[in-house]
Amino acid sequence: MKNALWPNLFRGWNRTESETVYTLKQVPVFKDFSKKEFTELEKLVHHRTYASGDFVFKNRAPGEGMYIIMKGTIKITIGTRSGNEQVLAELEEGDFFGELALFDNEPRSANALAVADSELIGFFTADLLSLQDRNPQMTNKILMNLGGMLGERLRNTNNLLFEAQTKSNNDANTAD
Amino acid sequence: MPTQQTDYFQLIYRLLLGLISAGFLWIIWPYISNVVLILVFAFLFTTVLLSSVDALEKRIRSRGLSVLIVTIGVLSGIGIFIGSFISQLSAQASDFSSRVDPTTLTAEFKNLGERFITALPGFAANMIPSGGDFASTLSGFVETVVNNLASLAGAVGNFVLNAAMILIFTIILLAEYHGFRKSLVSYISNKYFEIGLRLIFNIEKSVSSYLRGQFLSAASVALMSVIGLGILNLSGANLTLIVFIGIIAGLANLIPLVGPFVGMVPAILIAFMNNIGNEVALSHLLFGAVPSPFFILDIILMFIIVQQIEGNLITPTLVGKSVGLHPMIVMIALIIGGTILGPLGMLFAVPATGVLKVIGQEIAFVRRNAHLL
Repeated sequence: MKNALWPNLFRGWNRTESETVYTLKQVPVFKDFSKKEFTELEKLVHHRTYASGDFVFKNRAPGEGMYIIMKGTIKITIGTRSGNEQVLAELEEGDFFGELALFDNEPRSANALAVADSELIGFFTADLLSLQDRNPQMTNKILMNLGGMLGERLRNTNNLLFEAQTKSNNDANTAD
Repeated sequence: MPTQQTDYFQLIYRLLLGLISAGFLWIIWPYISNVVLILVFAFLFTTVLLSSVDALEKRIRSRGLSVLIVTIGVLSGIGIFIGSFISQLSAQASDFSSRVDPTTLTAEFKNLGERFITALPGFAANMIPSGGDFASTLSGFVETVVNNLASLAGAVGNFVLNAAMILIFTIILLAEYHGFRKSLVSYISNKYFEIGLRLIFNIEKSVSSYLRGQFLSAASVALMSVIGLGILNLSGANLTLIVFIGIIAGLANLIPLVGPFVGMVPAILIAFMNNIGNEVALSHLLFGAVPSPFFILDIILMFIIVQQIEGNLITPTLVGKSVGLHPMIVMIALIIGGTILGPLGMLFAVPATGVLKVIGQEIAFVRRNAHLL
């Protein structure tokens, strides 16, 4: 079994930036940010800690923004009753979720539950709007990156849909 | 039922806690009221100036420098306004005192009073007490002012100290506003974090849109008053300090309902001071029919027209329903604000009620979504 002591002991020993900036750099939403822009972003984001078993948010709750995992594990589920719960994803350090709330006023579409003690970075609509007044270039970058990500997801969904349709047509032809 | 019992206990506990907190606040209020007032002023100035600082930061990329430039700009503006106003007003006052001696003033007052009473219908004229000795009232007033000079100096000192404190707090808040907000929300528990963030954002939006609306309408009143007073001047009203009277009318307009009337006073006083002894101005008729000595009714009519244009045309177009409070609620808030803090309370009554309205709406929102938090 791999010993976690050494990687953890020397983790970030040659890193000049803070742990927050290090985590933010892994998120594609903040792609192409300069060092100065990351420092600016660091001042804006919120640090939150969640104990294992705490909900970050619940399905249908009003959503205000996105979270980036700095430490810990977050489980994304749908279905509220135990037994009826369906796990959509289990997210680790550097992953992010809830970014759709930055775009719309719609309620959350899934539950986010901490399955281990977790440290999250929150970035919310209010922060994005306040950044827009002071640094529109940065806001543009964030929105363009988010748009790019959503476009990529849409393309992937289209491909999956196309594959599913082709498969279903082939199955129908074989049956005939 | 045990749940019901628990609810009652919780209700009584909360009620007691609320009462104890209110009682404690009542006891310590005299000691903290000044600081609270300074903080409220600093917060309001910050809200007003924040968008300018943010916009400047967008251009020059330095928060500190933006705060410095905006602060210096605002202070210079206020300094130039007050300085030139005082110098022009003192010139006006010395001119007035050189032209008028007390005997003429008393005679003018008597003359004015008689003209007013004869112009009024019989029943209204009977309601005004006769034989008012204006000169003795005036000398009594001067005596009181001289006697109270020492306390006046103390009040001025206190005002300067408070103004300096407000300035310092405003500069700190402007420079650290976003960090300050971030540290404030960090105390909110995870469960209510997003909702708390939303509440703060909505309060900020409501207060800043209200204040921006107020300043826009004040600016429009000031501009229209200057134009109106200029037109009256052309028709022979002999008014001076037109720009200052306009700005004061605009500033007075910040106090809802009462402000517009307060704004008329300097114009009427200047008209009176400039035209005293002028027989043509004394016997002036509005529209050639209604007696309007010293153009007083002309001035009042002009301000009413300005108010109507501002209230019915400019504010609804430019500002819209910035706070969206019912006029009845505005009046009640003004009365309560005025009773607690005087004119300052009236100034803050509407934005404070607007904030309470936003908090109420958010509490209702949280209650609706409580099962989801």
